[in-house]
Amino acid sequence: MSFKIEGLNKSYDNIKLFDNFNIEIQENTITCILGPSGCGKTTLLNMISDTAQANEGSFINFEDKIISYIFQEPRLLPWKTVKENIAFVLNSDIPKEERLKIAEKYIQLVELNGFEDYFPSKLSGGMKQRVAIARAFSYPSDLILMDEPLKALDLKLKLNLMRAFRRLWQTDKRTVLFVTHDIDEALLLGNRIVVFSKAPVNIKQEFSIQKKERSLTDPEIIEYKNKIWEVMD
Amino acid sequence: MKRLLSKTKIISAISVLLLLCLWKVASLIYNSDLILPSPESTILTTLKLLFSKNFLLVVGATMLRGILGFVISFILGILLGILAGTNRSFEAFLNPILVTIRSTPVISLILLALIWFKVDFVAIFIAFLTMFPFICTNVIDGIKNADRDLIEMAKVYKVNHTKIIKEVYLPAITPFIFSGASSAMGFGWRAIIIGEVLSQPQFGIGTLMQSAQTYLLVKEVIAWTIIAILISSVFELIIRKIEKAVIIWK
Repeated sequence: MSFKIEGLNKSYDNIKLFDNFNIEIQENTITCILGPSGCGKTTLLNMISDTAQANEGSFINFEDKIISYIFQEPRLLPWKTVKENIAFVLNSDIPKEERLKIAEKYIQLVELNGFEDYFPSKLSGGMKQRVAIARAFSYPSDLILMDEPLKALDLKLKLNLMRAFRRLWQTDKRTVLFVTHDIDEALLLGNRIVVFSKAPVNIKQEFSIQKKERSLTDPEIIEYKNKIWEVMD
Repeated sequence: MKRLLSKTKIISAISVLLLLCLWKVASLIYNSDLILPSPESTILTTLKLLFSKNFLLVVGATMLRGILGFVISFILGILLGILAGTNRSFEAFLNPILVTIRSTPVISLILLALIWFKVDFVAIFIAFLTMFPFICTNVIDGIKNADRDLIEMAKVYKVNHTKIIKEVYLPAITPFIFSGASSAMGFGWRAIIIGEVLSQPQFGIGTLMQSAQTYLLVKEVIAWTIIAILISSVFELIIRKIEKAVIIWK
């Protein structure tokens, strides 16, 4: 049972972003949408998460689905500690102690042990984004949306975080929809890479990479990179 | 940083000293206790007042009025401020009321209050009307300045409305509440004393200032003024201390 979007129409500021657009998102894979800036990638995520409205189109199998969102910015509450920030999104019906325990588990998984009781102002940008990733995974979602969460970070941190992300993903193989304009990010994370054109969007080509371990120096990955370069404008 | 701090402190001390010197010189020129007593004799009078037998009762009564007015303003200001900040229609309803209260001269409010209320209640009423708009306006501003991104995040994660108010909006407006409280207190104490001067409750700083003025006891008028300033700064200090203790995440 995959997620499907059919006949999507959406304009924003008089620009037609999507014109009768269709896409399918397979379950338990990381689908990576690779496209130029301003093509409507973020808008697509916002329509899926219900923070923006489509002009037309059907979202199939999204009903009643629980969604986590990793934003471009960490979006942590400055007045809550790392642990509390994660517990904040968990259902209040779960007793607080239990929620904090779940939070601690995911803090360990993103290797932030020892920082549970830190306020975000005391963390670096990369650490904050790790908390945001832990928050998204701790939330019992059917779908994780990611909007270029690594944009503001330097390359080393980026690689580090992507490794952490893939490791976390291996534990429960959640359905992930990840948008970026950076080929390297797509190559390091995606199981399926969907290349978007400029607005109005059409899908230029799709690639499927099943490799578990990713490295930008791997000849196979380099080959993919060259192919994707050709497809992108 | 520490050296810089001590430097500004020295400059502030010089400013205070200069003010005292000017006062002293002026008192020497007039050379009359009926017009301007010297600083040292005034300070002596202040000390005498501090140990006079009704002092605690007088100061306590004034402070009680201020605190009562403040607590009512604080609670109502936060509640109505949150409502207005999260609901446009309510803001449109509340705004003219706030503007009217803020632009009405304090003295008109006092004159009317003197007609409407019992003596002891006048100053509390005035305190409320001067303090409430500050707190309420600050809370509304705080909510408007709350980070939309954080609220969107909370909504995407389906956090319920009450929890968003309690755990996102309320902490976000906390610094605004404190700055509102601090300006409210600053204006509030002045208004309370005017209220007391005119309403003449049995105990109150304003009551005694008024009688001192009637008997041309300039020394006492200034001494009570100094005491009023001290009370105001003590409360300002308390607010700042509480703010530091509450906002631990910065």
